[in-house]
Amino acid sequence: MSRTAAVETTGLTKRYRRGTALSDCSVTVPEGRISALVGPNGAGKSTLLRLLTGLARPTSGSAAVLGGTPRQDPGFLAEIGYLAQDVPLYRRLSAEDHIRAGAHLNQRWDGASARMRLRQLDIPLDRAVGTLSGGQRAQVGLTLALAKQPRLLLLDEPVAALDPLARRHFLGTLTAAMAEAEGSLTIVLSSHLIADLERICDHLILLASSRVQLCGDIEELLCEHTVLIGPRKDTTAIERAHTLVHATRTARQATLVIRRGGPVIDPAYQAEDISLEDLVLAYMGAAAPAAYAHLSTVGEEQ
Amino acid sequence: MTWLVWRQYRNPAAISAALLAAFAALVVITGLHIAAEFHAAVGPCLAANDCRWPADNLVLDNGPFGFIIEFTLAVPAVLGMFIGAPLVAREVETGTGQFVWTQAVTRRRWLAVKVGWLLLAALAWGGAVGALVTWWSGPKNAAYLNAFDPGTFDVQGIMPAAYSLFAMALGIAAGALIRRVLPALGVTLFGYFGVRLVIMGWIRQHYMTPVTTTFSVATNYLPKGAFWLLAQGFRGPDGRLPAVSGNNVMIVGNGFPASEVPAACVTHGPLGGEMLGAQTIACLGRHGYLQYLTYQPADRYWPFQFIEAGIFVALAAALIGVTFAVINRRDA
Repeated sequence: MSRTAAVETTGLTKRYRRGTALSDCSVTVPEGRISALVGPNGAGKSTLLRLLTGLARPTSGSAAVLGGTPRQDPGFLAEIGYLAQDVPLYRRLSAEDHIRAGAHLNQRWDGASARMRLRQLDIPLDRAVGTLSGGQRAQVGLTLALAKQPRLLLLDEPVAALDPLARRHFLGTLTAAMAEAEGSLTIVLSSHLIADLERICDHLILLASSRVQLCGDIEELLCEHTVLIGPRKDTTAIERAHTLVHATRTARQATLVIRRGGPVIDPAYQAEDISLEDLVLAYMGAAAPAAYAHLSTVGEEQ
Repeated sequence: MTWLVWRQYRNPAAISAALLAAFAALVVITGLHIAAEFHAAVGPCLAANDCRWPADNLVLDNGPFGFIIEFTLAVPAVLGMFIGAPLVAREVETGTGQFVWTQAVTRRRWLAVKVGWLLLAALAWGGAVGALVTWWSGPKNAAYLNAFDPGTFDVQGIMPAAYSLFAMALGIAAGALIRRVLPALGVTLFGYFGVRLVIMGWIRQHYMTPVTTTFSVATNYLPKGAFWLLAQGFRGPDGRLPAVSGNNVMIVGNGFPASEVPAACVTHGPLGGEMLGAQTIACLGRHGYLQYLTYQPADRYWPFQFIEAGIFVALAAALIGVTFAVINRRDA
């Protein structure tokens, strides 16, 4: 990837009085990608997105978003679209009110497309958004974010509350916007629903325990990792040649997720390609705090 | 930006305009009634130019809604609580700030436009209420010479406008600092009445050095017009005020302590609970006792209005300054 990065953070850290929300986060998202931001609750996903919008400021470290520091500047704000968790909109105002407000708040604003998109989705423009369904509200939020014609779209769990059909519509809107933008749009999308992300994302950022566990092209990450299924035995030899990400052991069998350091030659193991979900779970399990460790190594005998 | 302000505040604006109109109707109806009463009572002496003020025996009927006038002191608090406090706090509480503050308008500009319109509204609403109350109180002020009195001073002239600016700014700042509507509302309420009480009770009287006039114990003296009486009493021959302290000091009429009556004057009449007899008073005068009045003269009414308005406008400016610092520095 020789393209410039839409997002590049270095040692980004955010501490609150309650604790550290994000620590030493260094990630890169190349331009034109849809990046899946995944991790357990409280991993720092929302914090990272808020830092990228400039709504929050880092305790230390830095972020470069579209080549500049997130800041209070109309030029910067015009380039980013942000849809916060739970789609906060003015409940008493209608979608039409929001679209008109957007026209007054932004120099670049495509209100016509926004209205057309909502009409196509049969979402009433004149009703207070507080009376719309969760799926409709999410679509209004996304439509407003897209109306800015941003170069970076940051979406914080936009599909969490949606039923499968609404989710499909939402993700469809996203991919259509990506196609329309012809490579000038980058999306970072946080979600728990890996199956959905797998369908549309080509880049992954995995956060757990407020730290980055994994960041990169999904294809490459899947290529680099392998699941080994074999007898339960000493893994020192495996660990010498590869990086053992996570091991699940039952009485007789061990399932190892490794980041390959070369070809796997031990014939005792059967090597399998890894799915995105298993990859994510392996890293989340590895980063899980001790209290949850027993959950990620079910059946292990002491 | 202004469009958004209008869209978000057109309902509160309509409701408060309707309330203001209803209030204006009440004020005009009762005010005309009071003015009629006033002219019926004092018309002849006004014509002859020999009216004596204050007209103590003149009772002007407020009508059934007169008490509302006293409550106009709360108008600024209501504006600050229900319009000012939610300005930032509600955006944070409902999360809508995340929408509006990621449009291509900086938080600073968003705040500047909103604050500008809300302060203008506070000025207009406070000014209108102040003008109505001032007009309504005209006959009463003339009859009772009470315009300068604490409580009356506060609801007339330019004070309601100045207090409204202050209360609105206080609400906005409290909302921006606390970021939750309900606590910000409470802080605005108590802050407004607290600051006002301290200024009315302890600070206002010191805006200008009060005038103290001494005069014979045997005469009555009243300064001209609606002066603000701060203190009155007696002064001994050595310039010392008679000590009035402790529970067992018997006070004779006119507030003169019995223990201070010189022996030579005691014989002139009974002491205790009664007015001093004319002979006793004359005797006190012969022994060098004087009366005094400490007051702010009536012609300082407008200077005081402007001084106090200046204080509250300065407080409002400081609060708005704090709000801008907070909105820029803190995470949204």
